[in-house]
Amino acid sequence: MSQSAASSAPPAAGLIQPAIEVRRLHKSFGKLDVLKGVSLTVPEGEVVSVIGPSGSGKSTMARCICRREEINKGEIFLYGKRVDGSNHSNRDIARLVGMIFQQFNLFPHLSVMDNLTLSPINIRGLSKEEAVENAMGLLKRVGLEEKKDARPGELSGGQCQRVAIARALAMNPKIMLFDEPTSALDPELVGEVLDVIADLAGSGMTMMIITHEMVFAKEVSDRVVFMDEGNIMEQGSPAKIFSCPDAPRTRLFLQRMLAPLGKDFSGESGSEACGHES
Amino acid sequence: MNLDFSAITPYLHMLLTGAKVTLQASLLAVFFGSVFGTLVGAMRVSPIAPLRSVAAAYIYTIRGTPLLIQLFLIYFGLPSLGLNLPAFAAGIIGLSINSSGYVGEIVRGGIEAVPKGQWEASKVLGLSYIKTMRFIILPQAIRNMLPAIGNEFVTLIKESSLLSTLAITELTMVGQQVRSVTYASFETFIAVGIIYLVMTSSTSLLLQYVEKKWQVG
Repeated sequence: MSQSAASSAPPAAGLIQPAIEVRRLHKSFGKLDVLKGVSLTVPEGEVVSVIGPSGSGKSTMARCICRREEINKGEIFLYGKRVDGSNHSNRDIARLVGMIFQQFNLFPHLSVMDNLTLSPINIRGLSKEEAVENAMGLLKRVGLEEKKDARPGELSGGQCQRVAIARALAMNPKIMLFDEPTSALDPELVGEVLDVIADLAGSGMTMMIITHEMVFAKEVSDRVVFMDEGNIMEQGSPAKIFSCPDAPRTRLFLQRMLAPLGKDFSGESGSEACGHES
Repeated sequence: MNLDFSAITPYLHMLLTGAKVTLQASLLAVFFGSVFGTLVGAMRVSPIAPLRSVAAAYIYTIRGTPLLIQLFLIYFGLPSLGLNLPAFAAGIIGLSINSSGYVGEIVRGGIEAVPKGQWEASKVLGLSYIKTMRFIILPQAIRNMLPAIGNEFVTLIKESSLLSTLAITELTMVGQQVRSVTYASFETFIAVGIIYLVMTSSTSLLLQYVEKKWQVG
């Protein structure tokens, strides 16, 4: 179910380049094949949600895209530039891609403000004043400007994740990757983080969101990708994936995820209802 | 048996001078040992494999051999290579090298105790290895390490008594001199022991205070 043109030539110059292009990506940890030839293209401005069971390779794919993992085979392009080799420094990737982790990974010994300004000053080369001004704007955007002098340890999980999002945005990235951004949060704190992500999605940022929040994925994304056992099994519009998925595995997964919520996007007899869809 | 401390009171100031030398030697050794040990510890966790091996071998050798032998090698061994060191210098060098092996292991532990996510976040934010170490990892690692470095200092105060074998007039050496004059062996070494105890326990207290201050910040 690959969207990519599956040719090994670099993307042609002059055309509008997709923000992210992954071609036949293989990644294994020892004997465990985690990604088995995944191909995926994300045009600029698109919001893609990646869903699927634990261990399906969702996080590994995101970590390969931002070069947190070396890949075994395949190619990764960001805006037409190949980035899977060793000729790209952390610095180049950091200015292009922001990543949000499940565990926030804020720097506990620094204030919220210092968390937001450390990298812009050191990597983007902003002056302290510029970085602080920029950070204040971002803290306002995530609703935490009054916490600028707090240490991460004084914040709730939801506030930490909002600070982490602001910190990633402070690098002014073109692409944001979210690796299960709400999985470590208490249920009552999930909403505030999803609100911030939804706000960002509305602003035209290219985003890849790995999530188990099905309702959120349905509402916020332009496209939903379902991964299982290291492959992309199916992808399509949220309406399509959540109401009439083609693959039996997708159906099974969605039933399991949605049953405890008392929600069923696909109706009693999902596949039959889909037969007549335009 | 009757203890008579009056026999050694005229020599108390000598013991205190010896204690001063002990403190000086321990302070210098913990300083140089920490500087060098931090280097060794950073090598021990470096991404470059040969550096890791060298540091590992160094720590292994230093911790696996007696301090006394290390001191003898430097003071009695090096002259055969044409390197004659004054006793105090040889003593400080020996103690520092010995301490650096232990501090190296403490630093390694302190760095490895910083959660992996801190490295990840730093890398994703574009920070280089050196900048990540400097701004993110070491400030957190030092907090993890401080109690162990403090213990190392306390250990050095005690271990420095071995410097007496190089005829350095630190506390233990002075104790032997006082004993040979007064023949009050028991009283002399009880006094020496008490002075050591005062030095180690006040150092511990001081370190606990510093640790508390750090934890708040």
